[in-house]
Amino acid sequence: MKFRAVMVDPGPMRELTHIVNTISKLSKECVLRLSDDKIYFIVSEDNSGPTPPVLWCEISQSNFFSEYQMIGIDEDHKDIYLGIVSASLAKSLVTLKTAKMLKIKLTKKQCPCLTLDIEMPSSISQQTRQVSHDIPVVVVPRKLWGEFNEPKIPQPDISIELPPLKQLRNTIDRMKTMSSDIIISASAEGRLTLQIKTDTAKVSTRFRGLNVESFEGPIDHSDSETESQTCEDISKICSCRIDAKKFSMFLNAEQISHNRTLCHIIHKRLVVLQLHTKENVDFQCFIMGIVY
Amino acid sequence: MKCHVPGPNVKVLARTVHALARFGDDLYLESLSDCILLRTLNASESAYAMVKLNKNFFSHFNHNYYCVDVEGLKCKISMKSALNAFKSPAHMDKQVENLEIKLDPHSSKLIFQLNCKHGIVKTHYVSILDCKAMQAVYTKDLVPNRITSSQRLLSEALGNFQCSDDQVTLEVTSESLIIKNFGDTPTDISRIIRSQVTIKPFEFSSYTIGTDTNITFTLKEFRALLGFAEGLNLPVQLHFEITGKPAVFVVHNGTTIEAHFVLATSKPDIGTQYTSQHTTNSERKRKENSNDNNISAKKVHLDEDLSNQFQEDSNLFNYIPNNMSQNNVRENINNVEKANSIDTNCDNIPASPTSRMRIASVFKRCFESTFDPRIIHGVVLAENSDSD
Amino acid sequence: MDDGTSQYYFTASMDSGKTLYNLLKSIQFQECAVFCAMNEGLKLTVEEGKCVQASAYIPADNFTEYHVRDDVDVLFKINISVLTECLNIFGANEDSSLKMYYRCEGSPLLLVLQPQSMINVMTDCEIATQIADSILELRDEDVPEVAKLVLKASAFMGLLGDLERSCDTIEINLSPEHPNVSIITYGMQDRSCIDVPKSSDMVQSFSCKQAIRLKYQLYHLRLIMKALAISSKVVLRSSSNGLLLIQLKLEKEDQRQMFTEFFILPLLDD
Repeated sequence: MKFRAVMVDPGPMRELTHIVNTISKLSKECVLRLSDDKIYFIVSEDNSGPTPPVLWCEISQSNFFSEYQMIGIDEDHKDIYLGIVSASLAKSLVTLKTAKMLKIKLTKKQCPCLTLDIEMPSSISQQTRQVSHDIPVVVVPRKLWGEFNEPKIPQPDISIELPPLKQLRNTIDRMKTMSSDIIISASAEGRLTLQIKTDTAKVSTRFRGLNVESFEGPIDHSDSETESQTCEDISKICSCRIDAKKFSMFLNAEQISHNRTLCHIIHKRLVVLQLHTKENVDFQCFIMGIVY
Repeated sequence: MKCHVPGPNVKVLARTVHALARFGDDLYLESLSDCILLRTLNASESAYAMVKLNKNFFSHFNHNYYCVDVEGLKCKISMKSALNAFKSPAHMDKQVENLEIKLDPHSSKLIFQLNCKHGIVKTHYVSILDCKAMQAVYTKDLVPNRITSSQRLLSEALGNFQCSDDQVTLEVTSESLIIKNFGDTPTDISRIIRSQVTIKPFEFSSYTIGTDTNITFTLKEFRALLGFAEGLNLPVQLHFEITGKPAVFVVHNGTTIEAHFVLATSKPDIGTQYTSQHTTNSERKRKENSNDNNISAKKVHLDEDLSNQFQEDSNLFNYIPNNMSQNNVRENINNVEKANSIDTNCDNIPASPTSRMRIASVFKRCFESTFDPRIIHGVVLAENSDSD
Repeated sequence: MDDGTSQYYFTASMDSGKTLYNLLKSIQFQECAVFCAMNEGLKLTVEEGKCVQASAYIPADNFTEYHVRDDVDVLFKINISVLTECLNIFGANEDSSLKMYYRCEGSPLLLVLQPQSMINVMTDCEIATQIADSILELRDEDVPEVAKLVLKASAFMGLLGDLERSCDTIEINLSPEHPNVSIITYGMQDRSCIDVPKSSDMVQSFSCKQAIRLKYQLYHLRLIMKALAISSKVVLRSSSNGLLLIQLKLEKEDQRQMFTEFFILPLLDD
């Protein structure tokens, strides 16, 4: 197995730092899947199996690296799967924002490592300084590769474009101090509501005029306690109760320069937050619905 | 002793105290006729800091204020108390007009009186814990390796390491200086990021390497002394020899203030990930064992650098722990005599344990209030510091 | 305001809830506060044990609309940390307009917030209310005031901030003689003393009839720090029974004022 890639542009360097940073806030460990054209960052729940992974992020390597070479195990197993501590990767990339060049390679020191060679500018002289980090990785055995496949989820009931993540982040951060769950509702008419309900308070933040990508309604609300404003048609509203902290962690992704984020909801079951950038970064976060 | 610190220097003194506070928990103050010395030592006795404030640092300096013919006042106060008097160094130059420090040997208090703007006066009465001095023995000059660097260069380099890193190793050759957070022998690396930064000689203001070497010391105190240099915008001079011998960092402005920071160094392969406390203990044990066996390899001349005696352990204060009983000493003397008789061709004169004892008591005596360097006859404890 | 709310016990609106948020945060050292809407303005009070009582007072002219029904008492207990989180729902960098509604006794307090820079967004909050506990009436007209000290809030904040936090007690000595005001803290083995003479240009006014030595829990005095940070002026008044009243004034850009007030009971000598 071999892997070597070089990055020289400041834009991709910043993006990579933000992506890795966001992932490290969502999960301590992640799996790096390296293929010819893409790099995947995959985070699974501990009891991975039929449940979709918590995070699936893919970047197309050609938008990030100026040089990229990899060789897998054999013809049938072309990709490389590495388990890595995302926090370690994030910490090593902290200085990347001011770096001149980044080289990533798979090496074998006392254990398999991802070695990052960074050329940093010096404030003292015109020349650059060499910094090197060896991050220990675990090579994921082939028999476990099946657990890291692309998630297949059913067609969501609604897909709605979210308002700027920065705006959402302020509100969710306040809400999560008051309640551990947040109910997210979206209507076919382009309305999104974030709501918390506790013994002390009920707080609802309502967004209007959002773009609805798709709606597979009508939604069956016969068994639920969904409220709505009196003028709304309840069959057009789709909602899901999710963990507030997980939502807040995803919103760290607001640092990633992005085009748009879609929110897909399967009524009461699943929320998928999908962020997509111009540079072809696809960042999906899966949050299971909480059902009492 | 009574002295006045003018406004701009109050901030400098505050930064000094804050830097020393990152080394040790006790602050030793000694007032001599032409300067004041502030010293501290860390808990594991692997790092020592000494800051000398010359007479011209003060706007008024009277070390005989309370009583004449007093040789030099010495006292020890808690570092926490000292920090309390110098809360926020960054704001001090805006708030404080001057500072008066009084040490009355008859009372038990060291008094810091800050005369602030707007007529406000803040007075701190600090209890004196003890009346003794503390001193370390180390070599600053006549070392083969000397580097002068801007603090910014070193701080920038350290920016590539993690807060969780405990120690750093400098791998020094005449071609380059590599700072890394790991040693050469395998330890449990599966959880740690191994980082290294390579700096070329031309980046330093001066770079003289006589002996290629590796030295390892704790990051905490290294960062503290760099912070001190940064606060005063002064370069850092690094004087060192080889593995195991203390590294001396000097920060001075040539006139009013001179600081020496002495860090014990160890071999990188001894528990790189352990804390310095742990290192010291394990090294001390190794030293005891190896000395019992390899006495013949040691030199005895006291006018040579004392740390030669303790090759693997660069503990600055190598006094023997109390559990070394008289029996052990006798045993060692016997061993020495045996060694002598067996190997009559050996040029090396073994270090007799009694002389080790004497070394220990010399160090020990540094802690006594009556310690006077002139008492040690014929022994050059440390070369005279140059005035550079 | 909507016609439908004219029978409501209390309604009020403000262009920006930010100052109100900061004011309430500065007295938020307990979970619950007593909310009282009077004709003159709005007052929220927080008590800690029987030792400290803090109030935030917002005169009615701070509101663009303010209405309290004459025939009722608008007085209830509310969770103040939930209230401040709601006031801040759009984050610190966003100025939001605020509307408050209290329908009748037992109703929740309803807040509606709309951010100024974001369109098509709003938040509505319903915060549960409960019957108010009785508040201690600490002001006693019969006990004479012994000393009064007026300072710039920032100056006093600097002095308080400098005190060693690990000390339990703070001793305040006030006297007509120099140095007039001494603030002393005792550490394990040390003692620190700050002298503020009345001649200091930090002191806007000082009067003291007789020398008095007062002791308080340092922690209680430090409760005023957040309020000091947002205020322009602070007045300290001490009564002969040792009760300390600290009044702080906050002045907004439009010259309107808001106030916080702290009553602190002294420590009794052993």
